[in-house]
Amino acid sequence: MDFDESSNKIVPREFVAVVLAGFGNELLPLTGSHGDEPCLKALLPIGNKPMIEYPLAWIEQSGVTDILLICPTTHRSAMSNYIQSDVSSSFPSLRIDLQTFEQSQDMAVGTCALLRHFSSRIQSDFIILPCDFVPPPSLGLNQVLNKFRTESTYDGSIATVCFYEAGRPDKGTTTEEWGMLPSNVPIVFDERSGTLLYVDTPDDVDKNSEEFEFRMSLLTQYPRTKLSSSFRDSHVYVCKRTVLDVLNEKSHLDSLKEEFIPWLCKPQYQRTRREKYGNILSPVTNNVFQGPALKHSTLHLPTQHKHLRHSSEDADADDEHLRSVVPSPVDNEDEDAVEPSLRVGLIAHRSSSGFASRANNLHTYLELNRFFLGQTSYTLPSDPENRSLIDQKAQISADSMIGRSTRVDERTSIKRSVIGQHCVIGKMAKIVGCVILDHCVIADGAKLDGCILGVYTKVGAKAELSRCVTQPGYEVSPGESARNEKLEVSDWAAHETSEDQDSGDEDESTEEESDD
Amino acid sequence: MPPKSSSGKEKDIAEEDEVLQAVILADSFNKRFKPLTVGKPRCLLPICNATLLDWTFESLALAGVQEIFVICRSYADQVKAAIRDSKWSKPSTGIKIVPIVTAKETFSPGDAMRDIYTHQIITSDFVLVTGDLVSNVRIDEVVRLHKERRRTNKDAIMTMVVKEAGAAHRTRSRGVSGVYVLDPNTSECLHYEPVLGYPPASHVTVPREILAEHPEVEIRNDFIDCSIDVCSVEVPSLFQDNFDYGDIRRDFVYGVLTSDLLMKNVYCYVAKDGYAARVADTRSYDAVSKDILSRWTFPLVPDDNHPGGHSYEHLRGNKYIPKDNSVSLSRTCKIGNNTLIGPHTTVSENASIHASVIGQRCTIGPGATLHDAYIFDDTEVGAGCVVEGSIIGSRVKLGKGVRVPRGCLIADGVVIGEGARLRKFERISKKRVAPTKSEDDGSDGDDEEDEDSELEEVEEHQEDAPRVLGNNSNALVWPRGSPEDDEDELDDREHYNNLRLMRIGDDASDLELSDAGSTTSSDTETDSEFSSMHALSRTSSMTSASMSLSTADPSARTSAIHTLSSAAAETEFRSEVAQSLERAFAEGHSVENAAVELKTLRMASNVPLRRVREAVVGAIVDRVPLVVGDAAAQRNEIAKTVRRWGPLIDKIGGVDPVETVEVLQYHCAAAGPRQGLFAQMLVALYQQDLVDEDDIRAWHQSPAAKGEGVKHNAALVEGLKKCWDVGAKLLEQLGEDSEEESEEESEEEEAPKAKAQAKAAAKEESESEEESEDGSDGSEESAPSKPAPTQHSAPAPSTSSKPTKAEPESESEEESESEESDTPPAKPTSQPAQPSVPPKTAPAPAAAPMSAPAPSSAAAAATQSATTSVPVGAPSAPASQAKVAKAESSEESSEGSEEGSEEGESGEEEGGP
Repeated sequence: MDFDESSNKIVPREFVAVVLAGFGNELLPLTGSHGDEPCLKALLPIGNKPMIEYPLAWIEQSGVTDILLICPTTHRSAMSNYIQSDVSSSFPSLRIDLQTFEQSQDMAVGTCALLRHFSSRIQSDFIILPCDFVPPPSLGLNQVLNKFRTESTYDGSIATVCFYEAGRPDKGTTTEEWGMLPSNVPIVFDERSGTLLYVDTPDDVDKNSEEFEFRMSLLTQYPRTKLSSSFRDSHVYVCKRTVLDVLNEKSHLDSLKEEFIPWLCKPQYQRTRREKYGNILSPVTNNVFQGPALKHSTLHLPTQHKHLRHSSEDADADDEHLRSVVPSPVDNEDEDAVEPSLRVGLIAHRSSSGFASRANNLHTYLELNRFFLGQTSYTLPSDPENRSLIDQKAQISADSMIGRSTRVDERTSIKRSVIGQHCVIGKMAKIVGCVILDHCVIADGAKLDGCILGVYTKVGAKAELSRCVTQPGYEVSPGESARNEKLEVSDWAAHETSEDQDSGDEDESTEEESDD
Repeated sequence: MPPKSSSGKEKDIAEEDEVLQAVILADSFNKRFKPLTVGKPRCLLPICNATLLDWTFESLALAGVQEIFVICRSYADQVKAAIRDSKWSKPSTGIKIVPIVTAKETFSPGDAMRDIYTHQIITSDFVLVTGDLVSNVRIDEVVRLHKERRRTNKDAIMTMVVKEAGAAHRTRSRGVSGVYVLDPNTSECLHYEPVLGYPPASHVTVPREILAEHPEVEIRNDFIDCSIDVCSVEVPSLFQDNFDYGDIRRDFVYGVLTSDLLMKNVYCYVAKDGYAARVADTRSYDAVSKDILSRWTFPLVPDDNHPGGHSYEHLRGNKYIPKDNSVSLSRTCKIGNNTLIGPHTTVSENASIHASVIGQRCTIGPGATLHDAYIFDDTEVGAGCVVEGSIIGSRVKLGKGVRVPRGCLIADGVVIGEGARLRKFERISKKRVAPTKSEDDGSDGDDEEDEDSELEEVEEHQEDAPRVLGNNSNALVWPRGSPEDDEDELDDREHYNNLRLMRIGDDASDLELSDAGSTTSSDTETDSEFSSMHALSRTSSMTSASMSLSTADPSARTSAIHTLSSAAAETEFRSEVAQSLERAFAEGHSVENAAVELKTLRMASNVPLRRVREAVVGAIVDRVPLVVGDAAAQRNEIAKTVRRWGPLIDKIGGVDPVETVEVLQYHCAAAGPRQGLFAQMLVALYQQDLVDEDDIRAWHQSPAAKGEGVKHNAALVEGLKKCWDVGAKLLEQLGEDSEEESEEESEEEEAPKAKAQAKAAAKEESESEEESEDGSDGSEESAPSKPAPTQHSAPAPSTSSKPTKAEPESESEEESESEESDTPPAKPTSQPAQPSVPPKTAPAPAAAPMSAPAPSSAAAAATQSATTSVPVGAPSAPASQAKVAKAESSEESSEGSEEGSEEGESGEEEGGP
């Protein structure tokens, strides 16, 4: 017994997983508050499971046990409730350190600031995950970690990131009214070595909206690269601890995804940045004694650009035009040991090998729910208690999900929809392609098509909603009909209940920071 | 697209079996091989003992080409002779080789392509190569793919053959290369970006719109451009249509891919296996020679298919010795790897030869050491010579113990004396001997003339030649380093530092070639500071030679030249415009036609729009005939001219009334006798709606209108000032009217709209003059504007501004009457536009009335000029002058003030009580 415990202490933890749970402003009005209660983005269900369970399960599978979960202060009680009740039972091995950060829904703090703030709590290499990434079953977090382990040890790589291929969103299922359709970020990567070289940023677009500008040094070092706009950032970054030091130094950066990661790609091929940040990113480590071994490796290519720069004095001595062609290991002898590459590794997950997505906006949220519907086949609940709630004459298609304690009345038809727990669905209702969260009440004869209903939404009798999203607690009056709308609890109601309600209508604000 | 090409296209899609044509651009259009190419074309330089042209023929024959056109320019006779003697011209080969001599004015591949177009020799898809190609790529396969593609996509006009290599492959040109953006599936080339070696490019730009249709593309910086292009018949015609296309890659491919109009596609054929390379410079000469010797070009190797028809024996270590046993190798000589020795060559004892190519009938003296040396035919290398990394022409004699270090180029027939020690990268050619010269180049005029001038230049710099070349030498040493002059005229690819990258034996290690990065604005300040600091330290570590080569100098020179040439262009433009307008006026062109002509002129001389405006306004002002002594007639003339030609001002390519007024001001101010026309012109423009009140106001407030910035020309400043004052008056009049309009104050009769008034005035000028005498209504209308500033500033300071404004109107009726009585003496018909009138003292007091709530306006002034015509033309009268000094500077206003001052009393009388 003693032996076991002591060994646990000796082995230092290899990674700490930092899970960022934000407000989810892109998911408004679903994440708007219901009365005084905030509705946490992390706990919005996807396929009737809180979305944060997907990354947590992913982490657990990989064997990483330490999690630093960062959420806004206002979410603390709900989050800690969830952790104590659900997580501890379903993921017993995880040790979750819940930390909060004071921020409001309007003024979300950038992800870089969050990391800087908690950098003292991160003493090892770390993994940053969003709470909304639903990883593909074919890709384990271990694969990402293994790539990082290999390359950071043998190659001086500083980070490994994960991108997933996303098809163009199919038209018709969602509407523009729900906010900007998600777009892919153009990236440049080297497919053979799995290296991320360039991420297009809004700044770059501002600077030159017509053209990409690629550094010649990039193209010299990686003469054959791919430029692709079919990938999206999963926001899963495995980084060395030293990356935090640089992050602390670059204090003006705000967003990890849009600023820091694109920036981090640059030292690997830009010499001046390498000179400046190389020592911070990769302080002199064990590379020294691996150098000789690597020198004889045929797979390992030493960085080429060194050869081009010799002062003119020694140019007399040797025939360099031949040398730059065939670098022989002998030439390197006088140089330092292998220089760390400072590479940013890339796992580019193709959609052909499994669906992955982030639920960071309404489009992808609905898409993910539908994806899980396609995976399940609905059967009537087996326990008599729940079974009795569902009327014999209700028609429920196989690709639907219905939560516990939900009541479905006669002649109601449910197709391709997720119904949460404790819902009450009246007679003759028609629900097609919807996501209905917990505690919703749908009166008789209501028709819902492609809607997402927040918790405690009440839909009056014979109301017709098509492609609508409702804020928690919204009440649709009987007979009302709406199309392509975001239905929010009106302002007077907001004043009655809480203050921070009025942010509901500015959902277009593009704060990526806040939703991871 | 001419119909001819489209019919050709149809034909090639329809017919399968047709002659495969190839075009060889045998001229290189640059001087990278000088002085080896003195007296012969580059395509006849031997590489591995066969001429480049023969290697090219061999490569094309391998691809099954049946008809070859050789486009030659310099030394065309030699090329023709070479073709005649080539084994490929024998009838048995089934290849038809046609030399085509292009004009001397062919300076780029683009010109050659246009020549091809005019010759109309291309009937179907053809292979376009340069005359320095060594290749074993199956071009027929490329042609097949090209034709297949053409069947589905007629816009696929070109397929470029590129070879996969590394970014730093020895055969890949460091000086001139390109980045290709390809669709990985179809290998369509979506974008091409030329890249220079020096100065190193820091960025490559790729249009974003590519991703819209191709979500995933490859960026390739690892291609060797083989310059083998399979082109369709449209290509020459595209060159014809776009006369500025010079280079095939940088201009044509880049142009086609970035053009929004052409909608043509270019594809790449990425040669996975096979070899293809150009001998475009001495560096690639070295690389390709090595490639041939190490058999990358198989089956085109010296021991088989040797294009020169020699037969060699291939020995272990890639040594090639002629099979006919004609070589005499000494027992003690050393032949290293990768060496080729031509027939009938003698290698003496203890000579050692490594990685070199020796031509035919050469003699290598005892103890000579050759390393990476390329020696052409009939050359003697003396005893104990050391030759490294150099190319030595034919019939050269190196004396005993000559040292030829890296990078030397020694032209044909040079003799170098005993013990000479050449410096690195020395370029040496034979001295011209007068008689032999005429013998040699009886054939071609132009090119040789060109060369002669070049040689003359070389001859001028021979100070250190004897020291370098040893005794008994017949050679000239070519200047080293960057040529001082005409650097900026050159194509940037041919700049000295970039050429260094393409020079044999030069590693250019002192040049900063890699892109350091991180000076972008997106980065933080600390970053850029940091990088600039580093850039500094790097620069200082550069050799002084490269420092002196910095581009600052030539660029400064260019900008100076620019300003000079643009000044010349402007004067020329001005005279052209003047002539054009004169014609238009004289022949009564329509305004539209005149405008078109002006636009063309402007484009031709590339001058800013303002110059055009100046010219037009000036011409119109000058067009107005001066009517001395009759203000009404003068006004008539102005109105007529402006009505007829005023619209032209807005048709010259941009409407900017503020500028128009400003230009008018400057012109009037500068053009002595016409200074007085300013007010009337302005009113006329206003009436023609060419300028409106706001424009005048904007002009009036602009610093230029006040004459700021004009320092050196006092007269001009003064004129400007006067015009400005006139403008102020007009503005006040206008402002007053609009105020009246808005406020609806006071007497109806006195609310004549300024515009209407002005127009009426313009039309009734003649009448009004009489009227003013008669005291009829017309004069009443025109009169209100007259009240002089002095009068109001004095008597009515306590009254609010509105009353003050209104007052003059009310007074005016009486004034006009009083005027009548007062002014008659002042009526003498002097021309109001006399420049001599305004006394020097005028400007100073003029400022005061300006600031005072003077309701007089230029419109009024205009009318006044007609109605009252004070004898301003009489500066001799001291009394009137004094009065004038009281008020404004320009005549009209001075008249007004004069009247005003006269009227002042009456006004006071009326206004006071």
